[in-house]
Amino acid sequence: MEILDKLKEDIRGELEGVSLVIGWERGYDSLHTTPLFIRCPEDIDRLIWNPLCVHNLASYLPWFKGRRVGILVKGCDSRTVIQLLQERLIQREEVVIFGIPCQGVVDLAKIRARVDCSQVRGVSFKGDKIAIETPQGQRELPLEEILATKCISCQYPTPLIYDHLAGEAISSHRPPGLLFAEVEKIEKLDPKERFAYWQQELQRCIRCYACRNACPLCVCQDFCAADARDPHWLSQKTGIGEKFMWQILHAIHLAGRCTDCGECERACPMDIPIQRIRKKINKEIKELFGYEAGVNLEVTPPLYTFQVEEPAIKEREW
Amino acid sequence: MVTPEVRFLAAEKIPTLLKRLGERYRVFAPVKVSETTVLFQEYREGVQIVLDRQTTAPAKEIIFPQTERLLSYTYRKDPEDPQKIELQVEEAPQSAPRTIIFGARPCDARGFRVFDSVFTAGPYEDPYYSSRRQQTTIVTIFCTQPQNTCFCTSVGTGPTDTEGSDLVLTPITEGYLAEAITEKGKELLQDEAFVSAQERVEEAQRAKEGIKLESELDLEGIPQRLMELFSTDFWERVSAKCISCGACTYLCPTCYCFNITDEAAGLEGERVRTWDSCMFYQYTLEASGHNPRPTKAERYRNRVGHKFSYHPINYEGMIGCCGCGRCIKSCPVSLDIRQVLREAKAYG
Amino acid sequence: MASIPNPYLPQIGTVVKVIQETSNIKSLQVVLNDQERMNSFRFEPGQVAQLSVFGVGEATFVINSPPTRTEHLQFSVMRAGEVTARIHQLKEGDPIGVRGPLGNWFPYEEMKGKDILFIGGGIGMAPLRTLLLFMLDNRSDYGKITLLYGARTPDDLCYKEELQQWGQRDDMELILTVDREFPGWEKKVGLVPNVLRELAPSPKDKVAITCGPPIMIRFTLQALAELGFGDEQVVTTLERRMKCGVGLCGRCNIGTKYVCADGPVFTLAQLKELPPEL
Repeated sequence: MEILDKLKEDIRGELEGVSLVIGWERGYDSLHTTPLFIRCPEDIDRLIWNPLCVHNLASYLPWFKGRRVGILVKGCDSRTVIQLLQERLIQREEVVIFGIPCQGVVDLAKIRARVDCSQVRGVSFKGDKIAIETPQGQRELPLEEILATKCISCQYPTPLIYDHLAGEAISSHRPPGLLFAEVEKIEKLDPKERFAYWQQELQRCIRCYACRNACPLCVCQDFCAADARDPHWLSQKTGIGEKFMWQILHAIHLAGRCTDCGECERACPMDIPIQRIRKKINKEIKELFGYEAGVNLEVTPPLYTFQVEEPAIKEREW
Repeated sequence: MVTPEVRFLAAEKIPTLLKRLGERYRVFAPVKVSETTVLFQEYREGVQIVLDRQTTAPAKEIIFPQTERLLSYTYRKDPEDPQKIELQVEEAPQSAPRTIIFGARPCDARGFRVFDSVFTAGPYEDPYYSSRRQQTTIVTIFCTQPQNTCFCTSVGTGPTDTEGSDLVLTPITEGYLAEAITEKGKELLQDEAFVSAQERVEEAQRAKEGIKLESELDLEGIPQRLMELFSTDFWERVSAKCISCGACTYLCPTCYCFNITDEAAGLEGERVRTWDSCMFYQYTLEASGHNPRPTKAERYRNRVGHKFSYHPINYEGMIGCCGCGRCIKSCPVSLDIRQVLREAKAYG
Repeated sequence: MASIPNPYLPQIGTVVKVIQETSNIKSLQVVLNDQERMNSFRFEPGQVAQLSVFGVGEATFVINSPPTRTEHLQFSVMRAGEVTARIHQLKEGDPIGVRGPLGNWFPYEEMKGKDILFIGGGIGMAPLRTLLLFMLDNRSDYGKITLLYGARTPDDLCYKEELQQWGQRDDMELILTVDREFPGWEKKVGLVPNVLRELAPSPKDKVAITCGPPIMIRFTLQALAELGFGDEQVVTTLERRMKCGVGLCGRCNIGTKYVCADGPVFTLAQLKELPPEL
């Protein structure tokens, strides 16, 4: 059975016991998908599944606390669910998880960098290629070249937690060494170059907080320190300093919590590679605590606990 | 000397034109700033100008900057009597430099018309916006290739609308046909980069006629319809996928809402005006803790209501939207305001 | 280029007197430093102003001294957020920013010749004070004047000295109430809407003006309707978070109306025209 048919069948079976099921449907054109809230059996027909289903729908889960909802997750998205459970931000009995073994989703910014997507007429998948039809003709791109960065180093193509799995579990064929490749590139720059790099990128940040609001682990939302009035932690100005400050604030608050889903960067309307900032923190957390967020329900996240002597932090040697 | 009102501008002349204009004006043009983003920036030699597509952010920022100082203040303690505090407040100057926005789109220009209705028509006029607006000349390029997200013709403008522009450019082979709409536009046409248009007028006419926009919305009766839906669950349903960020509002050419905050540094500081967004919880949060728009449903209702109901009711039918489609294109979850309006008509 | 009047620029004033009204409400009397501006400061009863503490920000308050008494402008401030907390720290002689007058005012012309019923709760007495004093200063223009004012406890009543004076006047009636019994309290006990029902004023040739906490307003409007008051006979004021104060910054709208510029004073009939977003 096709993945989509299996999903639909499983959803049909659970729909009565939940308020809604969150999946994806076609968006405003054939290149864009949009989250779908399935409330009745007729809505199920609108469900789609393909490499354009980019959103990490787990971002919606904390909004529905207190209601039982169903959710479709890719491998990466399942890590968010686990982390939310670890932090008790959601209850296991309140979510029905429909897992999807995933071969990767696209990065629309990578496609936009190569094809004028303003008048897309059709999109199809041919083996390992995506074909995009525009008034200028059809363009085929190898999927491998336009996959989301997280997919290129994906270690968890099959969800780590689920109630239903649509299809056979698959295992990763991606080298784990690539996980921090972009971060390592930036680390090699000397501080001045690194600062210039981020200055150049962050210049175009508009402080719209799409990164914050798309982040499934950013749970303060309405009460964020970035727009707190009292204390007035952060100036509302939009100079480069405030933009740095905001991005660092976000990354730091995600230390040991970020599941590397990339929603921050995907949501950024200015296509700023901000996931790299979060990834840098993830790398530090991995080196300091050997921790990777959202892969083990039983573990307490490192910054949720305290040890007098952290094995990897040689405080006495400072 | 009588200035001709229609001239030809060769594409290859644009960099030298902008450079020359830069001696007398601040000149902004769409510049490629990353692989996928094009933004209005002050023109410098060597930048890559991109005129064949819509900019990532509109031209709004040039006349209505995201951060703007309204005043500065300083407290001084009297050395003789430390209990006594002296306060000095200095108003930010209203003067604005002469500015050109080169390569706007009709939707950008329309956006400023919406701003004008609020900020310049009174009873209170915004002095900072007004002075910048007066000092700015808008050079607009007609859209020959509307995008999937465009719906300008549905909201009272269009890809060849001249309203709000001073000079308009129609793309033709190897350049543009330039037509002055206002005196400010005529002034620019005097530059030597603009040459006789000769027989190009007809070509431009054909180009204009060839433009097709697919997305058509029927907005008949929508101001009243949205009011009827005010207390229904429609808003909760359509806003379910909204993540309540400010991307749509900050990238909107007609969204003008702002915040005013004091940014202090020791005994001195500034009062600044910054863009704000009706999609944020804090926007309407009262000091008591009460919030009249506590969830994204009320906030989204206000955004759509403001643009398609309240603004047209308050301003003689002018829709508070220019149909540029950035709120659709840049939305992290592709929430489509056109779809919401269609559903509003059909709901219930 | 001619300079445009700057609606964002406050006048600098000085706090000349601070009165501790209740445990969390203070009244500030302010004069503008520029004597000429102070002399020419014209406003109507019910209009508001933005008070600034530079470095913290602005907040909106009704000018609760009446236009008929111009030696100072008085504002009553309940401690709630960051600006009001800072205003509470101000002492006599401290500088303060004043931006106003802003907004609309009580339709006092249309109230001429009518009986006036003020119904206030807690800090909601502030806007009523300006109109009451204005009417007392133009006493012959109005019929019978009644003030029903309540608070949680006797200590929570504002303008205690004036209450005493008003109670002794024979050209107005004062009814005070507190939510429950207190030792030494000899006036009424009970919630404002209940006391109103008990008083049962006739709506004939009368205007009711009510201000107070949202819950009190809700039940007071209900009580007034029961007593037969028409929507045009009931006037109240609204509050919203405000920034610009002049209808530009967007946040205080209820449908098509901006509370800062089209309000804060609304008749119940006008309120009912607005979408329900309070």
